[in-house]
Amino acid sequence: MKAIPAILLALLLIVSLVHGGSYSSQHRESIDAPPSWRFPLGTDDLGRDRFVRLLDATRISVLFAGAAAFAATLLASLAGGIAGYTGGWFDHMVVRTIDVLLSLPSLFLLLVTRALMPLNISPVLSLLVTYALMAAMGWLSPARVIRAGVRSFFDSEYVLQARAEGCSEARILVRHILPNLRPILLAQFWTSVPVFILTEASLGFLGLSAGEPFPTWGSLLHELQNPLMARPEAFAPIVAIALCVCCFKRITPWRVSQI
Amino acid sequence: MNPVLYARISADYPNRPGVLEDVEFAIGRGEILGLVGESGSGKSTIAMTLLRLIESKGGKARGELLFQDRNLLALPGRKMRRVRGREIGLVLQSPLSALNPSLRIGAQILEAWRAHRQGSPDLLQLLEMVNLPPEPGFLNRYPRQLSVGQAQRVLIAMAVIHRPALLIADEPTSALDVVTQAEILRLFSSLNRQMGTSILYISHDLLSVASFCHRIAILQQGRIVEANTTAEIFRNPQHPYTQALLAAIPKPPNCLETTTDCPSLAWSETINQAVDDGQYRAKDSLVCASRS
Ligand SMILES: Nc1ncnc2c1ncn2[C@@H]1O[C@H](COP(=O)(O)OP(=O)(O)O)[C@@H](O)[C@H]1O
Ligand SMILES: [Mg+2]
Repeated sequence: MKAIPAILLALLLIVSLVHGGSYSSQHRESIDAPPSWRFPLGTDDLGRDRFVRLLDATRISVLFAGAAAFAATLLASLAGGIAGYTGGWFDHMVVRTIDVLLSLPSLFLLLVTRALMPLNISPVLSLLVTYALMAAMGWLSPARVIRAGVRSFFDSEYVLQARAEGCSEARILVRHILPNLRPILLAQFWTSVPVFILTEASLGFLGLSAGEPFPTWGSLLHELQNPLMARPEAFAPIVAIALCVCCFKRITPWRVSQI
Repeated sequence: MNPVLYARISADYPNRPGVLEDVEFAIGRGEILGLVGESGSGKSTIAMTLLRLIESKGGKARGELLFQDRNLLALPGRKMRRVRGREIGLVLQSPLSALNPSLRIGAQILEAWRAHRQGSPDLLQLLEMVNLPPEPGFLNRYPRQLSVGQAQRVLIAMAVIHRPALLIADEPTSALDVVTQAEILRLFSSLNRQMGTSILYISHDLLSVASFCHRIAILQQGRIVEANTTAEIFRNPQHPYTQALLAAIPKPPNCLETTTDCPSLAWSETINQAVDDGQYRAKDSLVCASRS
């Protein structure tokens, strides 16, 4: 039972890797077509196969959210790790900066930054910028968690023990801190992915995600802004998003507890 | 002969200056010095200061710390690191939290070795030396799979792995039950005899220290108020605080003269062992203790 969303998502991903259709090819003879054998989810107002676009969107959304989560976790471990290790004024500064940045409304910031960008940038660039922006804002809370972890590890008895053994600081970091930090880093990564997926969906719905003709889950939702397009099959991306977020929320607890 | 260590030290924490005030003591070669004081008197701070680990807690040590004819307080950090673990070993108080939860025991012991030397030592022989099962399976365990007594033995093994000239034990038995406690004390005693390691044995419990320390120093609020041979401390305590400590030792009923039949195990075992070790005559000092 628990594995059902994961299996469905995996199927979706696999099919998206092997199917032959193209997300941009238009079928001018059947524009805005209802679901049929040929087009399981119908076509959009440009005559593009919604099912093919959903498959490609799955691949792009999951991969890019994963990459952004990786970048955010990396940034967070650098900032949080160094702050937690050095302590003192640098730590103080980092913590204050993070507090200030976290108190800003992040979705609003994302919208403004994204909206300020020129309209004529290439679709690939707009896709990259969207996820880069999310990573740039998504490292803040993870950095706080990682900093607190590093802090408590360096204050721990076993690090004191390692120092009493004469271990160098580098060795303490690699052999004693990192193994304990690993589950924290993984948890931050696995929780960031669904957050980024949902954020991209919100941006996309507002038309501020990847530019045409790139399909992402968010940009597919843009269609729904037009009430005339709000037919059942147009809601498929939402089902895919829910499935996927469900999977990631499930991964997190057991991944972390297993380590 | 010069003592292994001569200390005349003061120590401050940033928000608490004067935790130690001119604490002066010496530890001879092969000697076991007991350091006794109530909690908060600065015992752990002394241990931290001798290894200059107090610096990693933001504190600062002043004074003179002569170890094998070097002033440790004047040593650059890199050289001080080579003293830690190699020439002075430390056994911490809470065995389970002093072991890294995500490292196997074998890897953990190897870390202590690699801090100063290449290759790897004979781990099984090391386990045997501290009375742990000398099996590869034991080395594969995680700390959470050990009993507290076993964990303490692992810590002791790591502390003596380089055969240090001085071993500092900071209340190593306070987390253990009395039987294990007696075993660990015996282990320290035999390490002292076999390897000639000097030991600074820190405890809040005068009686447990009495069973195997050659000399005892009494610490009160960051100052040493009395230091003498174990027998003298028990027979002839000078300072009122020492007298109070002696008077506070719990006495089992009706067996002061016949220790061998005494039902109170913990009490009689340590005393008997001390008698076996020939360190002092139990009945004498106990009568003293009960009179003081
Ligand atoms: N890191 C620290 N910062 C500030 N004060 C400390 C610190 N560690 C210990 N102290 C204080 O120093 C005193 C001695 O502590 P400690 O050496 O741990 O005593 P003991 O080991 O005898 O119980 C205590 O009053 C304690 O509050
Ligand atoms: Mg203490």
